[in-house]
Amino acid sequence: MNQYDVIVVGAGNGGLVAAATVAKAGYRTLLLEKHNIPGGCATSFVRGRFEFEPSLHELCFEGSREDQASASGLFRSLGADVPLYLEDTLFRVIAKGPDGYDVTLQAGMEAFLDSMEEAVPGCRGSVKAFFDLIDPIDDAMNAMGDGLPNPVNLLRKHSDFIRIAGHSTEEVMNALGVPQKAQDLINTYWGYLGVPTDDLNALHYLSMVTAYIKGRPSMPYHRSHELSLALVKALQDAGGEIRYNSEVTRFLYDGQNAVCGVIAGGEALWAKKVISNIIPNNVFNRSDNRHISKRSRKLANARKLGMTFVTIYLGLDCTMEELGVNDYSLFILRDRNPRRQFDLRADRSIYIVNCLNKALPDATPPGTCTLFFTIPIMPGDLPKDLSPQNYKAYKNQMAETYIRDYEETMGVSVLPHIEEISVATPVTFARYLSTPRGAIYGYANEGWDNIIARSVTEAMDYDTPNLYFCGGHYIRGDGYPSGYMTGDMAAKAVIAALKKEGK
Amino acid sequence: MANKNKKLQSLSMSGFVKSVAARLGAVNKSSDAPVPDLLSYPENRLAEELHPHVQFLTVKDVIEHSPDMKSYLLAPDKKRGTAALAWFSAGQYLVLSLPVDGKTVSRPYSIASSPRDTLHGVYQITVKRVEGGVASGWILDNWKPGTAVTASAPLGDFTYEPLRDAKTVIGIAGGSGITPFRAFARAIAQGDEDFNLVLLYGSRAKKDAVFSDEIASLAESCGKIKLVNVLSASKAKDCEHGFITADLIRKYAPQDAPYSVFLCGPQAMYRFVDKEIETLSLRRKFVRHELFGEYFHPEQNDDYPQDGKAVYTVTVHIAGVTHTVSCPADTSLLRAMEAAGLNPPSDCRSGRCGWCHSQLLQGDVYVPESVDGRRMADKIYGYIHPCCTFPLSDCEIDVPPMPYV
Repeated sequence: MNQYDVIVVGAGNGGLVAAATVAKAGYRTLLLEKHNIPGGCATSFVRGRFEFEPSLHELCFEGSREDQASASGLFRSLGADVPLYLEDTLFRVIAKGPDGYDVTLQAGMEAFLDSMEEAVPGCRGSVKAFFDLIDPIDDAMNAMGDGLPNPVNLLRKHSDFIRIAGHSTEEVMNALGVPQKAQDLINTYWGYLGVPTDDLNALHYLSMVTAYIKGRPSMPYHRSHELSLALVKALQDAGGEIRYNSEVTRFLYDGQNAVCGVIAGGEALWAKKVISNIIPNNVFNRSDNRHISKRSRKLANARKLGMTFVTIYLGLDCTMEELGVNDYSLFILRDRNPRRQFDLRADRSIYIVNCLNKALPDATPPGTCTLFFTIPIMPGDLPKDLSPQNYKAYKNQMAETYIRDYEETMGVSVLPHIEEISVATPVTFARYLSTPRGAIYGYANEGWDNIIARSVTEAMDYDTPNLYFCGGHYIRGDGYPSGYMTGDMAAKAVIAALKKEGK
Repeated sequence: MANKNKKLQSLSMSGFVKSVAARLGAVNKSSDAPVPDLLSYPENRLAEELHPHVQFLTVKDVIEHSPDMKSYLLAPDKKRGTAALAWFSAGQYLVLSLPVDGKTVSRPYSIASSPRDTLHGVYQITVKRVEGGVASGWILDNWKPGTAVTASAPLGDFTYEPLRDAKTVIGIAGGSGITPFRAFARAIAQGDEDFNLVLLYGSRAKKDAVFSDEIASLAESCGKIKLVNVLSASKAKDCEHGFITADLIRKYAPQDAPYSVFLCGPQAMYRFVDKEIETLSLRRKFVRHELFGEYFHPEQNDDYPQDGKAVYTVTVHIAGVTHTVSCPADTSLLRAMEAAGLNPPSDCRSGRCGWCHSQLLQGDVYVPESVDGRRMADKIYGYIHPCCTFPLSDCEIDVPPMPYV
């Protein structure tokens, strides 16, 4: 009974796709989740008459090209059919200060280029050249398929790819002569990847932003919980099993240091392959250390934890029209420059405000609306003297500071309308995700740990036999699509290995 | 193949190789020590302190208010691994797991002590015998100093939120619904909450008004607290007489400033006072209720489709093990599972917290709209909160196991 082909640990985005995919391939699959609901970050919570979205700003669901793997393609192939709303506007950004601006950028490549040209006359050519780089990237990716091609071929045929992959976003933009203001506008999204664009890998950023622009930002009508339940259904329809309130407390190994099972709910469960949606640090912490290779430990110790957030969820007893809000996605910046935004991050230098009612008018009951504040911070940014006694006061003080800043910036009145409020911090994420320091993005995608370097050394980095990983901490970085895609990658690798062993 | 961009030529091709080399170098010179324990990080430690998976407690003292109402002082049980009590917000509750007649029964109880009292190692809960109740009678008859108690972390959102609530709160307490207000009053007096509390405390007679004298003396020394006893079945000096009405609220509410109304009491009180409050035309944000409590008699609702007399069979899957239980139509799926000796998760038992979240695999059910706290997608994909779900046919459900401790 307790013997499975595949056990998946953690029902986050990656774990859900991984489990549904291996189950669909006919393998006896068990998905273990420590909470009583699936999804990890992709969930929702109810306060009074409001149901809040805890993490999703907009889903980058379609790939940058139709022939490319995309989250929507994955959902379709799994039979998980979730109706999605597609947003026309990319975002509005208000940068304060003497050289500040207030610009709204449109989705769809032509509309996007038009809105860029309007904001920065003369920038269209260089901006287009930047986004055209997605073609050599796609060509190289397609050529690589399952592995790196012959290096000589890579250098000869895909030199642009090599140049892009080896530089930061801003270096590539500078090479193409993208005007500074246009760069700052395009780079507004850096917070979604957690690394400022002077460090953030150009290939990584370009791929993500292009997908947003071309595919348009989308979102489910009933919060992320709907995406997660759709994937649970796909898993169950394929004969797989999900078990909640079943935290994996131990990973089990055989005589060859290969994973052979786990302990969850006090019970030993055995599997040929284990896919972990939980971060390697937590796997190693729940393993006998002698089974973990020296290199795995070195890598985990060398890596820097990525971005986390303070988030504020507001249910307001007035409509967005009464409030005077007309944007779904608004970035408020104290400074145009991403690096300075990062350096001053805990002091209102960058935050995002989403009004879901702009996209989905029925997102809240009639006569109400909701605002969702996202403040990017890094692990360690919380006050050092935070304690159980002063924690709530800290949350309220953060909320009031940012709400007042928003009120002042937009000339609106929010505080008197608060009917429901909830504030999450890295402590909240540490509680629900159990990640080290409440990191949401896994490891920082910066410097030597960018996704290109991760991809190249993947086989070397994940060296525990029978153990596979997926999720934001894995090679593609954070974001819902990355989670889904790495789940698919892990499932395909497991299926291939099981087929090979079956022969 | 895509056209080459000439401007890109200024970027070296060595960056790619360099970043991989830098990666290998960084890993190579890093430590091979075991990765740090989660609880070595301050964020994870604070999360654990605020929200422990379980709290092992022991009854330290018993205060008898009357034969049918006692307070229990609960202390951390260090022997079983709880070193300190979790801090909380006044107004929150604990869920107690009780071994009643060989079955595990869980019930929420408001914490009547203040957050600061936890620093002295004390939670206080107050239990009143409920006629026909399973848990209250068992506690009153069995708990004595030294009894081991298993409790949840503090839970619930019946708390004062300074960015949401008015500066003055009219507290409306009925019977043992006084307990969270005792916590509020103490927290205000001790400086951990900052608002004006005007407490309208409904009792039959002054002698039934538990904590009245204590709160009155807090009010004497703290200008932010005011207590008004409202007696329904007798008259006494300095007390109001009758029920808690809109007029009474108006009489004690601030005249020129907004105020919030917080209610905690029996369901009969909510039904009466809610109608009174409606006439005050308060904004919804200013009216907050503590948990409604368990839902009984769904068959009395207008939209209930049957006569409520049938008895259905419910197939229950818990962590891969299948059970069969019998469930009368007017009984919640949760109660039916508990009666059958299963130990399904439940915290608020009022449809609100979602801890009993389960999957309805087959069958029809009735969920009273007023206590349907599910997420929207739950309704699309067939998930239920068994604490307020009633069968309309034989059913099959999948229920998460209680977490293993």
